[in-house]
Amino acid sequence: MSFVVVPTNIEDAVRFLADNPEARPLSGGASLVAMKNAGLIEASHFVSLARIEGLNGISVDEGGLRIGGMTRHRDIAASAHLTGDLAMIAQAAGQIANRVVRNMGTIGGAVGNADPAADYLPVLTCADADVEIYGADGPRRISIEHYLIDWYETALEPGEIVTAIHLPHPKEARSNYHKLARTPGDYATASVACAMDGKRVRVAVGACGPKPIRSAEAEAALEGQIADPAAIRIFADSLAALADPMDDVRGSSDYRLRLIPRMVTAAINEIRGAH
Amino acid sequence: MSDKQVISLSINGVTGEVFAPSDSTLLDVLRDDLGLHAAKRGCNQGVCGACTVMIDGVPMRSCLTMAGACEDHEVKTLEGYIQDPLMNSLQEAMIASGGVQCGFCTSGVLITARNLIEEKPDAAAEEMRTALSGNLCRCTGYVRIVEAIAKAAKEVVV
Repeated sequence: MSFVVVPTNIEDAVRFLADNPEARPLSGGASLVAMKNAGLIEASHFVSLARIEGLNGISVDEGGLRIGGMTRHRDIAASAHLTGDLAMIAQAAGQIANRVVRNMGTIGGAVGNADPAADYLPVLTCADADVEIYGADGPRRISIEHYLIDWYETALEPGEIVTAIHLPHPKEARSNYHKLARTPGDYATASVACAMDGKRVRVAVGACGPKPIRSAEAEAALEGQIADPAAIRIFADSLAALADPMDDVRGSSDYRLRLIPRMVTAAINEIRGAH
Repeated sequence: MSDKQVISLSINGVTGEVFAPSDSTLLDVLRDDLGLHAAKRGCNQGVCGACTVMIDGVPMRSCLTMAGACEDHEVKTLEGYIQDPLMNSLQEAMIASGGVQCGFCTSGVLITARNLIEEKPDAAAEEMRTALSGNLCRCTGYVRIVEAIAKAAKEVVV
């Protein structure tokens, strides 16, 4: 089975998903169709989101930026809207898989799948993003922090679709995304998103636990101390202490715990030196 | 698995309908229903790049594309480039440079490389290698493929 249906509005899509519990929403297909091909999932239907208006592209209003869920990695990597402390999001998008897959994969699909090693999760966590979700009861918004729950577990209810990512307006600030991977295009062994505005630094570590690691307490303690190597060291170690990495083909848990302080320190120093 | 559906497709400028299993990918339909064998089934996971085709002018993985989601989209496979001057010079450059050995990756490489030359005719060798990171070749070590792309790109610029 796996009939493809192509609704033209979001209400029809979520109604179809509600009426057909074995149906799955299909965005770019970069992960979902690969899983189908590998026999990892079964779906009565794939509900393509390609024809639904308002899901593709980046828009700006007084509230901030909205990245439609069907926006491709390619377009996010090249977006002129993602500047300052949001530049790290474009950097992350440009490091996903390879050129051809970036033509297909979407941010909504990636956030919906929520692979803990996915490049978007640390940058969106660092950027205080909100996830816009549409279900049978209409739209809702939830912070990325509360959206991500556990390994591959999110706040998405059955039949709900990630329709957009919301971000604050970019600040005049620096940001960067550091990814350590076995080879370019692989999932990260560990990754670090870092943004600095004024004296405040925000850091999120990816691929080292069920969800990105971020600590408001540690960030507050580092405020105003970013020129102090000892303070940076305490900060970096405190993030490593919060990590819960797995052993997998990309690296052991122990290796990742050693990577985190080094990568966090390097990311902060790069941003600091650039000022 | 026996459920089939009618899927209307536009491939290499020809529009028609196929009656194919509903869970077919575009690659399945190309190879199994239409006999277009340039796109290869390597990993079937979107990693190896042997199945790369153009959809609406953009290179994509046919193995990750549901056939039923292709209605109203223009698909172009390597077979659609038989009379394309740029593709022809790329093919000749691949032969001359020895960029083809077993040949399994070649059609995917050609689609990716032609798109790169079109978008960035002055791409540096490093950019070519990065572009090819989505096309696995286990024979050539890429050196001769990169040579061939550089050669074809030079001809375009001139």
